[in-house]
Amino acid sequence: MTTLRSVGSWFMPLVPESRVAVLRTVLYLFVIIDIHLFVRDPIPLSSHPELYQPLLIERLFRLPPPSVPLTITLYLILMIGCLVAAANVLPRLAGGVVAAAFTWWTAIGMSYGKVDHDHLALVVALWVLPTVGVIADRWRSVERSAQAGWALKCIQISVVFTYFLSALTKIRSGGWSITSWPDSSILLWAIVRRPHGLGQFLLPYPELLHVMQWLSFTAELTAVVVLWLKGRALLAAAVFWLGFHVFTVAILYIHFAPTAICWLAFAPLERFGPWLRRVKARWRERAGRRSARHPVPVLRNHPVDSGG
Amino acid sequence: MGERVRGISRLSYAWRIAATLLGIGLLLNGSLRMSDDAWPLGPLSQYAFSPAKDETIVITRVEGMLADGRRIDLPLRVETAGISRAEIEARIPQITADPSLLRSVTEGWTSRHPEQPAPIRVWLVQDQIRLVDGRVGPRRLVELATWELPS
Repeated sequence: MTTLRSVGSWFMPLVPESRVAVLRTVLYLFVIIDIHLFVRDPIPLSSHPELYQPLLIERLFRLPPPSVPLTITLYLILMIGCLVAAANVLPRLAGGVVAAAFTWWTAIGMSYGKVDHDHLALVVALWVLPTVGVIADRWRSVERSAQAGWALKCIQISVVFTYFLSALTKIRSGGWSITSWPDSSILLWAIVRRPHGLGQFLLPYPELLHVMQWLSFTAELTAVVVLWLKGRALLAAAVFWLGFHVFTVAILYIHFAPTAICWLAFAPLERFGPWLRRVKARWRERAGRRSARHPVPVLRNHPVDSGG
Repeated sequence: MGERVRGISRLSYAWRIAATLLGIGLLLNGSLRMSDDAWPLGPLSQYAFSPAKDETIVITRVEGMLADGRRIDLPLRVETAGISRAEIEARIPQITADPSLLRSVTEGWTSRHPEQPAPIRVWLVQDQIRLVDGRVGPRRLVELATWELPS
Protein backbone atom coordinates (compact mmCIF):
# COMPACT_ATOMS: atom_id res chain seq x y z
CA MET A 1 0.00 0.00 0.00
CA THR A 2 2.84 2.41 0.83
CA THR A 3 4.57 1.49 -2.45
CA LEU A 4 1.31 2.17 -4.29
CA ARG A 5 0.99 5.52 -2.54
CA SER A 6 4.60 6.49 -3.32
CA VAL A 7 4.12 5.50 -6.98
CA GLY A 8 0.97 7.65 -6.99
CA SER A 9 2.72 10.62 -5.45
CA TRP A 10 5.52 10.29 -8.02
CA PHE A 11 2.98 10.57 -10.82
CA MET A 12 1.03 13.27 -8.96
CA PRO A 13 3.33 15.49 -6.90
CA LEU A 14 1.85 18.56 -5.23
CA VAL A 15 2.87 21.40 -7.52
CA PRO A 16 1.96 25.13 -7.54
CA GLU A 17 -1.03 25.63 -9.83
CA SER A 18 0.43 28.95 -11.01
CA ARG A 19 3.05 26.85 -12.80
CA VAL A 20 0.30 25.31 -14.94
CA ALA A 21 -1.35 28.73 -15.44
CA VAL A 22 1.90 30.19 -16.85
CA LEU A 23 2.59 27.09 -18.94
CA ARG A 24 -0.91 27.32 -20.42
CA THR A 25 -0.27 30.89 -21.56
CA VAL A 26 3.06 29.96 -23.15
CA LEU A 27 1.90 26.75 -24.86
CA TYR A 28 -1.39 28.10 -26.24
CA LEU A 29 0.46 31.10 -27.68
CA PHE A 30 3.04 28.67 -29.07
CA VAL A 31 0.29 26.76 -30.88
CA ILE A 32 -0.54 29.97 -32.75
CA ILE A 33 3.11 30.22 -33.82
CA ASP A 34 3.15 26.50 -34.66
CA ILE A 35 0.22 26.63 -37.11
CA HIS A 36 1.92 29.50 -38.94
CA LEU A 37 5.53 28.29 -38.95
CA PHE A 38 5.68 24.52 -38.42
CA VAL A 39 2.50 22.60 -39.25
CA ARG A 40 1.59 25.31 -41.73
CA ASP A 41 0.53 23.22 -44.72
CA PRO A 42 -2.95 21.78 -43.91
CA ILE A 43 -4.76 24.57 -45.83
CA PRO A 44 -2.70 24.30 -49.07
CA LEU A 45 -2.57 20.48 -48.79
CA SER A 46 -6.33 20.22 -48.36
CA SER A 47 -6.78 21.40 -51.95
CA HIS A 48 -5.18 18.12 -53.15
CA PRO A 49 -7.67 15.41 -52.11
CA GLU A 50 -5.99 13.00 -54.56
CA LEU A 51 -2.89 12.89 -52.31
CA TYR A 52 -4.74 12.44 -49.00
CA GLN A 53 -4.19 9.17 -47.13
CA PRO A 54 -5.93 9.26 -43.76
CA LEU A 55 -4.02 8.10 -40.68
CA LEU A 56 -5.42 5.49 -38.30
CA ILE A 57 -6.76 8.19 -35.95
CA GLU A 58 -8.71 9.82 -38.81
CA ARG A 59 -10.17 6.50 -39.93
CA LEU A 60 -10.99 5.48 -36.35
CA PHE A 61 -12.98 8.64 -35.65
CA ARG A 62 -14.38 8.70 -39.21
CA LEU A 63 -13.12 12.25 -39.72
CA PRO A 64 -14.21 13.76 -43.04
CA PRO A 65 -11.46 14.22 -45.65
CA PRO A 66 -9.93 17.70 -45.40
CA SER A 67 -11.24 20.42 -47.68
CA VAL A 68 -10.24 24.07 -47.83
CA PRO A 69 -13.37 25.29 -45.93
CA LEU A 70 -12.73 22.63 -43.26
CA THR A 71 -9.07 23.51 -42.72
CA ILE A 72 -9.86 27.24 -42.66
CA THR A 73 -12.55 26.58 -40.03
CA LEU A 74 -10.06 24.57 -37.97
CA TYR A 75 -7.57 27.44 -38.31
CA LEU A 76 -10.09 29.99 -37.03
CA ILE A 77 -11.15 27.70 -34.15
CA LEU A 78 -7.49 27.30 -33.17
CA MET A 79 -6.80 31.03 -33.29
CA ILE A 80 -9.79 31.95 -31.11
CA GLY A 81 -9.46 28.91 -28.81
CA CYS A 82 -5.76 29.54 -28.18
CA LEU A 83 -6.27 33.20 -27.30
CA VAL A 84 -9.06 32.34 -24.83
CA ALA A 85 -7.15 29.41 -23.31
CA ALA A 86 -3.88 31.40 -23.10
CA ALA A 87 -5.72 33.86 -20.83
CA ASN A 88 -6.69 30.92 -18.56
CA VAL A 89 -10.35 31.64 -19.35
CA LEU A 90 -12.71 28.65 -19.70
CA PRO A 91 -9.73 26.30 -19.35
CA ARG A 92 -11.65 23.06 -19.78
CA LEU A 93 -13.82 24.14 -22.71
CA ALA A 94 -11.28 26.27 -24.61
CA GLY A 95 -8.44 23.87 -23.77
CA GLY A 96 -10.47 20.84 -24.84
CA VAL A 97 -11.43 22.49 -28.14
CA VAL A 98 -7.79 23.47 -28.84
CA ALA A 99 -6.58 19.94 -28.00
CA ALA A 100 -9.05 18.31 -30.39
CA ALA A 101 -8.65 20.92 -33.15
CA PHE A 102 -4.84 20.91 -32.99
CA THR A 103 -4.65 17.11 -32.98
CA TRP A 104 -6.87 17.04 -36.09
CA TRP A 105 -4.97 19.91 -37.74
CA THR A 106 -1.60 18.20 -37.17
CA ALA A 107 -3.00 14.82 -38.26
CA ILE A 108 -4.12 16.45 -41.53
CA GLY A 109 -0.63 17.90 -41.98
CA MET A 110 0.76 14.36 -41.64
CA SER A 111 -1.77 12.62 -43.90
CA TYR A 112 0.00 13.37 -47.16
CA GLY A 113 2.90 10.98 -46.75
CA LYS A 114 5.23 12.61 -44.24
CA VAL A 115 4.84 12.01 -40.52
CA ASP A 116 6.90 14.13 -38.13
CA HIS A 117 7.63 13.25 -34.53
CA ASP A 118 8.33 16.55 -32.89
CA HIS A 119 4.75 17.12 -31.71
CA LEU A 120 4.28 14.27 -29.23
CA ALA A 121 4.91 16.32 -26.07
CA LEU A 122 2.90 19.30 -27.31
CA VAL A 123 -0.13 17.18 -28.24
CA VAL A 124 -0.01 15.43 -24.86
CA ALA A 125 0.34 18.83 -23.13
CA LEU A 126 -2.75 20.18 -24.88
CA TRP A 127 -4.80 17.15 -23.75
CA VAL A 128 -3.68 17.22 -20.11
CA LEU A 129 -3.63 20.99 -19.42
CA PRO A 130 -7.45 21.34 -19.42
CA THR A 131 -7.76 18.57 -16.78
CA VAL A 132 -6.37 20.90 -14.11
CA GLY A 133 -9.56 22.93 -14.47
CA VAL A 134 -10.07 26.47 -13.22
CA ILE A 135 -7.05 27.93 -11.45
CA ALA A 136 -8.23 30.65 -9.09
CA ASP A 137 -6.14 33.82 -9.49
CA ARG A 138 -4.36 32.21 -12.49
CA TRP A 139 -0.68 33.33 -12.49
CA ARG A 140 -1.15 34.63 -8.93
CA SER A 141 -2.55 31.37 -7.58
CA VAL A 142 -1.12 30.26 -4.23
CA GLU A 143 -2.68 26.82 -4.38
CA ARG A 144 -0.83 23.54 -4.90
CA SER A 145 -2.47 20.45 -6.28
CA ALA A 146 -1.89 16.89 -7.41
CA GLN A 147 -3.99 17.72 -10.48
CA ALA A 148 -1.38 20.28 -11.56
CA GLY A 149 1.42 17.84 -10.65
CA TRP A 150 -0.08 15.09 -12.80
CA ALA A 151 -0.50 17.35 -15.86
CA LEU A 152 3.12 18.50 -15.61
CA LYS A 153 4.40 14.96 -15.03
CA CYS A 154 2.59 13.76 -18.18
CA ILE A 155 4.25 16.52 -20.24
CA GLN A 156 7.65 15.72 -18.69
CA ILE A 157 7.25 12.02 -19.48
CA SER A 158 6.29 12.84 -23.10
CA VAL A 159 9.34 15.10 -23.49
CA VAL A 160 11.84 12.45 -22.37
CA PHE A 161 9.92 9.70 -24.18
CA THR A 162 10.35 11.66 -27.41
CA TYR A 163 14.06 10.90 -27.09
CA PHE A 164 13.87 7.48 -25.46
CA LEU A 165 11.29 6.08 -27.90
CA SER A 166 13.25 7.38 -30.87
CA ALA A 167 16.23 5.38 -29.58
CA LEU A 168 13.99 2.30 -29.26
CA THR A 169 12.75 2.83 -32.83
CA LYS A 170 16.37 3.02 -34.02
CA ILE A 171 17.15 -0.29 -32.31
CA ARG A 172 14.03 -1.85 -33.84
CA SER A 173 14.68 -0.54 -37.37
CA GLY A 174 18.23 -1.84 -37.25
CA GLY A 175 16.95 -5.38 -36.71
CA TRP A 176 17.03 -5.11 -32.89
CA SER A 177 20.68 -4.15 -32.93
CA ILE A 178 22.22 -1.52 -30.65
CA THR A 179 25.08 -0.68 -33.01
CA SER A 180 23.45 -0.59 -36.45
CA TRP A 181 22.11 3.00 -36.20
CA PRO A 182 25.08 4.71 -34.54
CA ASP A 183 27.45 2.92 -36.95
CA SER A 184 25.37 3.76 -40.03
CA SER A 185 25.75 6.66 -42.50
CA ILE A 186 22.56 8.36 -41.27
CA LEU A 187 24.02 11.81 -40.53
CA LEU A 188 25.87 11.84 -43.84
CA TRP A 189 22.61 10.88 -45.54
CA ALA A 190 20.71 13.65 -43.74
CA ILE A 191 23.31 16.33 -44.51
CA VAL A 192 23.50 15.38 -48.21
CA ARG A 193 19.71 15.71 -48.42
CA ARG A 194 19.63 18.99 -46.50
CA PRO A 195 22.75 20.76 -47.71
CA HIS A 196 21.89 24.21 -46.42
CA GLY A 197 23.12 24.09 -42.82
CA LEU A 198 26.62 24.01 -41.35
CA GLY A 199 26.55 20.22 -41.72
CA GLN A 200 28.11 20.41 -45.19
CA PHE A 201 31.41 21.34 -43.51
CA LEU A 202 31.29 18.00 -41.67
CA LEU A 203 30.80 15.92 -44.86
CA PRO A 204 34.54 15.19 -45.26
CA TYR A 205 34.69 13.74 -41.72
CA PRO A 206 32.45 10.64 -41.55
CA GLU A 207 34.32 9.41 -38.45
CA LEU A 208 33.30 12.55 -36.57
CA LEU A 209 29.69 12.01 -37.70
CA HIS A 210 29.83 8.48 -36.23
CA VAL A 211 31.03 9.88 -32.88
CA MET A 212 28.10 12.34 -32.94
CA GLN A 213 25.68 9.49 -33.73
CA TRP A 214 26.97 7.46 -30.76
CA LEU A 215 26.68 10.48 -28.46
CA SER A 216 23.13 11.34 -29.46
CA PHE A 217 22.00 7.70 -29.41
CA THR A 218 23.41 7.19 -25.89
CA ALA A 219 21.79 10.42 -24.70
CA GLU A 220 18.43 9.39 -26.19
CA LEU A 221 18.54 5.91 -24.72
CA THR A 222 19.27 7.26 -21.22
CA ALA A 223 16.97 10.33 -21.42
CA VAL A 224 14.44 8.81 -19.00
CA VAL A 225 16.88 9.51 -16.15
CA VAL A 226 15.94 13.20 -16.46
CA LEU A 227 12.61 12.39 -14.73
CA TRP A 228 14.50 11.77 -11.49
CA LEU A 229 16.89 14.73 -11.65
CA LYS A 230 16.52 17.80 -9.47
CA GLY A 231 18.08 21.26 -9.11
CA ARG A 232 21.35 21.84 -10.95
CA ALA A 233 21.49 18.34 -12.43
CA LEU A 234 18.06 18.94 -13.99
CA LEU A 235 19.15 22.34 -15.24
CA ALA A 236 22.29 20.78 -16.76
CA ALA A 237 20.18 18.13 -18.53
CA ALA A 238 17.80 20.78 -19.89
CA VAL A 239 20.71 22.88 -21.14
CA PHE A 240 22.25 19.78 -22.77
CA TRP A 241 19.04 18.88 -24.63
CA LEU A 242 18.24 22.44 -25.68
CA GLY A 243 21.86 22.67 -26.92
CA PHE A 244 21.28 19.42 -28.83
CA HIS A 245 18.29 21.02 -30.60
CA VAL A 246 20.28 24.18 -31.42
CA PHE A 247 22.97 21.91 -32.86
CA THR A 248 20.58 19.98 -35.12
CA VAL A 249 19.17 23.28 -36.35
CA ALA A 250 22.68 24.50 -37.15
CA ILE A 251 23.85 21.41 -39.03
CA LEU A 252 20.59 20.17 -40.59
CA TYR A 253 17.96 22.92 -40.30
CA ILE A 254 15.90 20.45 -38.29
CA HIS A 255 14.33 21.99 -35.25
CA PHE A 256 12.29 20.28 -32.56
CA ALA A 257 10.71 23.52 -31.32
CA PRO A 258 7.41 21.90 -30.21
CA THR A 259 9.40 19.47 -28.01
CA ALA A 260 11.87 22.12 -26.84
CA ILE A 261 9.11 24.46 -25.61
CA CYS A 262 7.65 21.62 -23.52
CA TRP A 263 10.88 21.52 -21.48
CA LEU A 264 9.22 24.40 -19.62
CA ALA A 265 7.16 21.73 -17.83
CA PHE A 266 10.32 21.11 -15.76
CA ALA A 267 10.83 24.79 -14.90
CA PRO A 268 9.72 26.60 -11.71
CA LEU A 269 7.38 28.80 -13.73
CA GLU A 270 5.50 29.87 -10.59
CA ARG A 271 8.35 32.34 -10.02
CA PHE A 272 7.58 34.13 -13.29
CA GLY A 273 4.44 35.98 -12.09
CA PRO A 274 6.04 37.48 -8.92
CA TRP A 275 9.22 38.31 -10.89
CA LEU A 276 7.17 40.15 -13.52
CA ARG A 277 5.30 42.06 -10.81
CA ARG A 278 8.59 43.09 -9.16
CA VAL A 279 9.99 44.28 -12.49
CA LYS A 280 6.81 46.25 -13.18
CA ALA A 281 6.82 47.81 -9.68
CA ARG A 282 10.48 48.79 -10.00
CA TRP A 283 9.81 50.28 -13.43
CA ARG A 284 6.87 52.24 -12.09
CA GLU A 285 8.92 53.43 -9.11
CA ARG A 286 11.73 54.56 -11.39
CA ALA A 287 9.28 56.35 -13.68
CA GLY A 288 7.82 58.11 -10.61
CA ARG A 289 11.25 59.18 -9.37
CA ARG A 290 12.19 60.49 -12.81
CA SER A 291 9.09 62.64 -13.00
CA ALA A 292 9.85 63.99 -9.48
CA ARG A 293 13.40 64.98 -10.51
CA HIS A 294 12.27 66.93 -13.56
CA PRO A 295 10.72 70.38 -13.12
CA VAL A 296 6.97 70.17 -13.38
CA PRO A 297 5.63 72.69 -15.87
CA VAL A 298 3.69 75.43 -14.17
CA LEU A 299 0.67 76.87 -15.84
CA ARG A 300 0.98 80.56 -16.67
CA ASN A 301 4.72 80.54 -16.28
CA HIS A 302 5.01 83.32 -13.69
CA PRO A 303 7.25 83.34 -10.64
CA VAL A 304 4.88 82.92 -7.75
CA ASP A 305 6.46 85.74 -5.76
CA SER A 306 6.62 88.27 -8.58
CA GLY A 307 4.45 91.21 -8.12
CA GLY A 308 1.97 91.79 -10.96
CA MET B 1 2.67 33.13 1.72
CA GLY B 2 -0.43 31.25 2.82
CA GLU B 3 -0.29 28.23 0.50
CA ARG B 4 -3.33 25.99 0.21
CA VAL B 5 -3.64 22.48 -1.16
CA ARG B 6 -6.53 21.53 -3.41
CA GLY B 7 -7.97 18.13 -2.59
CA ILE B 8 -8.32 15.27 -5.04
CA SER B 9 -11.01 12.61 -5.03
CA ARG B 10 -10.28 8.88 -5.22
CA LEU B 11 -11.90 8.74 -8.64
CA SER B 12 -9.77 11.63 -9.98
CA TYR B 13 -6.70 9.92 -8.60
CA ALA B 14 -7.61 6.54 -10.08
CA TRP B 15 -8.41 7.69 -13.62
CA ARG B 16 -5.20 9.70 -13.78
CA ILE B 17 -3.05 6.71 -12.80
CA ALA B 18 -4.95 4.53 -15.29
CA ALA B 19 -4.58 7.12 -18.08
CA THR B 20 -0.83 7.45 -17.45
CA LEU B 21 -0.24 3.70 -17.56
CA LEU B 22 -2.42 3.35 -20.66
CA GLY B 23 -0.60 6.24 -22.37
CA ILE B 24 2.85 4.83 -21.61
CA GLY B 25 1.69 1.39 -22.77
CA LEU B 26 0.32 2.77 -26.05
CA LEU B 27 3.51 4.75 -26.71
CA LEU B 28 5.74 1.72 -26.08
CA ASN B 29 3.47 -0.40 -28.26
CA GLY B 30 3.66 2.27 -30.97
CA SER B 31 7.45 2.34 -31.00
CA LEU B 32 7.94 -1.40 -30.73
CA ARG B 33 5.17 -2.67 -33.02
CA MET B 34 3.29 -0.02 -35.01
CA SER B 35 3.98 2.10 -38.11
CA ASP B 36 3.72 5.84 -38.81
CA ASP B 37 0.03 5.28 -39.52
CA ALA B 38 -0.58 5.18 -35.73
CA TRP B 39 0.49 8.85 -35.20
CA PRO B 40 0.55 10.32 -32.55
CA LEU B 41 1.04 6.91 -30.93
CA GLY B 42 3.29 5.48 -33.62
CA PRO B 43 7.06 4.95 -33.64
CA LEU B 44 9.36 7.98 -33.54
CA SER B 45 10.91 6.96 -36.82
CA GLN B 46 12.34 10.23 -38.16
CA TYR B 47 15.94 9.51 -39.12
CA ALA B 48 15.62 6.21 -37.29
CA PHE B 49 16.89 3.97 -40.09
CA SER B 50 20.45 2.89 -40.82
CA PRO B 51 21.79 3.74 -44.31
CA ALA B 52 24.68 1.48 -45.34
CA LYS B 53 28.14 2.74 -46.30
CA ASP B 54 27.30 2.17 -49.99
CA GLU B 55 23.77 3.60 -49.84
CA THR B 56 22.38 5.62 -52.74
CA ILE B 57 20.96 8.89 -51.42
CA VAL B 58 18.16 10.38 -53.50
CA ILE B 59 17.01 13.97 -53.65
CA THR B 60 13.66 14.25 -55.38
CA ARG B 61 12.93 17.40 -57.35
CA VAL B 62 10.46 18.73 -59.87
CA GLU B 63 11.70 20.61 -62.92
CA GLY B 64 9.51 22.54 -65.32
CA MET B 65 9.95 23.76 -68.89
CA LEU B 66 8.58 27.24 -69.52
CA ALA B 67 6.99 28.33 -72.80
CA ASP B 68 10.23 30.12 -73.75
CA GLY B 69 12.22 26.89 -73.45
CA ARG B 70 13.87 27.60 -70.11
CA ARG B 71 14.08 24.60 -67.78
CA ILE B 72 13.72 25.64 -64.15
CA ASP B 73 13.60 23.99 -60.73
CA LEU B 74 10.22 24.18 -58.96
CA PRO B 75 11.43 24.04 -55.34
CA LEU B 76 9.35 21.58 -53.31
CA ARG B 77 8.55 23.72 -50.29
CA VAL B 78 5.23 24.84 -48.88
CA GLU B 79 6.02 28.52 -49.58
CA THR B 80 7.03 27.93 -53.20
CA ALA B 81 4.85 25.02 -54.36
CA GLY B 82 2.25 24.52 -51.62
CA ILE B 83 3.66 21.04 -50.98
CA SER B 84 6.92 19.78 -49.56
CA ARG B 85 9.51 17.33 -50.88
CA ALA B 86 8.64 14.64 -48.35
CA GLU B 87 5.01 14.61 -49.48
CA ILE B 88 5.98 14.18 -53.13
CA GLU B 89 8.53 11.48 -52.23
CA ALA B 90 5.87 9.55 -50.36
CA ARG B 91 3.75 9.48 -53.53
CA ILE B 92 6.41 8.52 -56.12
CA PRO B 93 4.76 5.19 -57.11
CA GLN B 94 1.39 6.91 -57.62
CA ILE B 95 3.00 9.75 -59.60
CA THR B 96 4.95 7.44 -61.92
CA ALA B 97 1.70 5.52 -62.53
CA ASP B 98 -0.26 8.74 -63.10
CA PRO B 99 2.07 11.70 -63.82
CA SER B 100 -0.91 14.11 -63.86
CA LEU B 101 -0.63 14.02 -60.04
CA LEU B 102 2.22 16.49 -60.58
CA ARG B 103 -0.63 18.95 -60.99
CA SER B 104 -0.39 19.53 -57.22
CA VAL B 105 3.08 21.02 -57.74
CA THR B 106 2.34 23.03 -60.89
CA GLU B 107 -0.87 24.51 -59.50
CA GLY B 108 0.82 25.38 -56.21
CA TRP B 109 3.80 26.90 -58.00
CA THR B 110 1.76 28.84 -60.60
CA SER B 111 -0.58 30.34 -58.00
CA ARG B 112 2.43 31.51 -55.96
CA HIS B 113 4.29 32.89 -59.01
CA PRO B 114 1.60 34.74 -61.00
CA GLU B 115 4.21 36.99 -62.61
CA GLN B 116 6.09 34.01 -64.14
CA PRO B 117 4.99 32.15 -67.31
CA ALA B 118 3.38 28.80 -66.41
CA PRO B 119 5.38 25.65 -67.15
CA ILE B 120 4.22 23.66 -70.18
CA ARG B 121 5.89 20.40 -69.16
CA VAL B 122 7.19 19.11 -65.83
CA TRP B 123 9.53 16.31 -64.84
CA LEU B 124 9.81 14.41 -61.61
CA VAL B 125 13.55 13.85 -61.27
CA GLN B 126 15.98 12.50 -58.70
CA ASP B 127 19.57 13.39 -57.97
CA GLN B 128 21.07 10.05 -56.98
CA ILE B 129 24.24 10.31 -54.93
CA ARG B 130 26.14 7.10 -54.24
CA LEU B 131 28.11 6.65 -51.04
CA VAL B 132 31.42 4.89 -51.43
CA ASP B 133 32.75 3.40 -48.19
CA GLY B 134 30.79 5.94 -46.14
CA ARG B 135 31.92 8.95 -48.17
CA VAL B 136 30.11 11.03 -50.76
CA GLY B 137 30.65 9.52 -54.23
CA PRO B 138 29.38 10.13 -57.77
CA ARG B 139 26.04 11.83 -58.54
CA ARG B 140 23.64 11.27 -61.46
CA LEU B 141 20.26 12.62 -62.54
CA VAL B 142 17.36 10.21 -63.16
CA GLU B 143 13.98 11.08 -64.71
CA LEU B 144 11.03 9.34 -63.06
CA ALA B 145 8.01 10.87 -64.78
CA THR B 146 7.04 13.56 -67.28
CA TRP B 147 3.73 15.36 -67.62
CA GLU B 148 2.60 17.75 -70.36
CA LEU B 149 0.27 20.35 -68.93
CA PRO B 150 -3.06 20.58 -70.75
CA SER B 151 -3.03 23.85 -72.73
